[in-house]
Amino acid sequence: MFQHTPLRLTTLALLAAGSLAYTFAAGFFGLEILAEIAILAILVIALDLVAGFGGMVSLCHGALLGVGAYAFTVAATEAGLSAAPAMALAIALSAALAFAIGAVCARSTGIYFIMATLAFGQMGYSFVFQSPLFGGDDGLAGAPRPDLGAIGIDLTDSRAFAIYAILLVAVTYLVAAATLRSGLGRSLVGLHHNEKRLRALGLTVWRAKATAFAISGALAGLAGCLAAQHTQYISPGLLSWTVSGEALVVVILGGLGTLVGPILGAILFVVLKHEISALTPYWHAIVGLILIAVVMSRANGVVGFVEARLATRKPQPLVKEAKADA
Amino acid sequence: MTADLGFWVLQMLNALQLSMLLFLLSVGLTVIFGLMHFVNLAHGSLYAFGAYVAASLAGVLGYWGGFFLAPLAVAAMGAALYFTLIRSQRRAGPMAQVLITFGLIFVAVDATRLVWGDLPIGIAVPAVFEGQLSLLGVEYPIYRLFIITLGLAVLGVLTLILSRTQIGAMIRAGVDNDQMAACLGINVERMFFLVFVVGCALAGLAGAVAAPVLSVTPDMGLQILIPTLIVIVIGGLGSLKGAVAGSLIFGFVQTFGAVLLPTLSSVLIYALLAAVLVARPQGLLPAKG
Repeated sequence: MFQHTPLRLTTLALLAAGSLAYTFAAGFFGLEILAEIAILAILVIALDLVAGFGGMVSLCHGALLGVGAYAFTVAATEAGLSAAPAMALAIALSAALAFAIGAVCARSTGIYFIMATLAFGQMGYSFVFQSPLFGGDDGLAGAPRPDLGAIGIDLTDSRAFAIYAILLVAVTYLVAAATLRSGLGRSLVGLHHNEKRLRALGLTVWRAKATAFAISGALAGLAGCLAAQHTQYISPGLLSWTVSGEALVVVILGGLGTLVGPILGAILFVVLKHEISALTPYWHAIVGLILIAVVMSRANGVVGFVEARLATRKPQPLVKEAKADA
Repeated sequence: MTADLGFWVLQMLNALQLSMLLFLLSVGLTVIFGLMHFVNLAHGSLYAFGAYVAASLAGVLGYWGGFFLAPLAVAAMGAALYFTLIRSQRRAGPMAQVLITFGLIFVAVDATRLVWGDLPIGIAVPAVFEGQLSLLGVEYPIYRLFIITLGLAVLGVLTLILSRTQIGAMIRAGVDNDQMAACLGINVERMFFLVFVVGCALAGLAGAVAAPVLSVTPDMGLQILIPTLIVIVIGGLGSLKGAVAGSLIFGFVQTFGAVLLPTLSSVLIYALLAAVLVARPQGLLPAKG
């Protein structure tokens, strides 16, 4: 069950304050990294929503992000829409595709679900890679940033863009938290624990799963729009399954099913990536070793580790809460 | 073009060659999964390792040195992985296994870059199999026919072992119900180790035979992984028949799709996979009914 413990609220407040303070202190490079973190954070919150709480470990979130990025770019450059309607369209498309994928995969669980989502993600990747409409291997350039000139904000400035990205992370977090608090979110957690029981209680299982997946897909689409606006150039690589795999790595590093953990994971991942890749071209190997160590330690990421440490200091409650198997 | 018999023969042989290569890879992975429900995403990396070992040894011992030693080297690597990572994660659930083996892929790709560099390595086809053979009016490279023959031979040997020997019967019992098999006195854990190492050796063999045809690059393991997974998911996890059926379906759909429907070819196989997953979530020929 999703809940805001004091620790998590404090972490959130510190993250919000810290990132906003950093936007005013950082130089150009720092701001670019901040935007990169924000994009990854939105994607991993979306993934944690379904993987951490619903047990739907998806390997197609990279593709959903890519769909958002491509839909936004095509709508803005080819169809000539302005940024806001193009974003709405892109998010709606990602959500619709995610709903379809969720509905089709609703019967599969465990490794079959992972494989099925992987297949759909790769299908999207191949489609975009081969289709001449989307520039194929060359990708597409020219995604615009939203024009907020009316309220005196220029998003071509990297500081303004970083703040805008952080605000979108906050919106994403609130949407995810609201979803988890709603009846749908409770059903989702229930489905993860005991699907048969919820079916017996009269829940339409596939619809609940597909709807949750659609919300997650919409958020991934938002991350895609932001990615397109950030680099203003997109390539099929965004849809690759390794992006989904990396997102899963980030969720695990931060703490599965904690919602705040993945944000920490995103910060760690992007900063580590830049720090280690400055030292050695073999940074993937280091990330791989860290991932193996984290999974083998059986701690639930950074947040899970800290929470478990704090819990041992407190007197133990008489009835242990049932812990969800990841 | 399509009315010509030679065209069909040529594409048929290409499809068979791809199928057999995929079969060598997927059979180990699928039996490992069937027996112990272990998902090894790093299987493709073992294949790449086999290709690199074969390519390196080819310069010293000639092609056949690599051909015979690469599977042994990969099997040794598999055994090392088994004792360090695999055994302790056996009951950790698919999520942990997927993540650990995903981490292994990262490590493996960079390790091969570190040892062998970023540039593709090519090795020559062995002298015995150089040249072309005329077959039904088509000139076809002998080496590719050798791959097809080797795949069929491995398939034959595995079928015999699994259906006619005692160890085969024990493996089938383990796939069917590992707890019951253990109760009957079968050391399932040791059998799993055996199957795992043999599966790794077959992946190494696939790498060694693929090395002269494809170029040996650090990301070759990552590239072959998705086709291998598609094969075993279409065929049904855990079954030899499924691996055969999946490999043939993938090989033929991919090859004929590329020449007959070039615009749709790569989407075609994923659409087929999605259709299989919707209609039969357990695959076409699953190990358990």
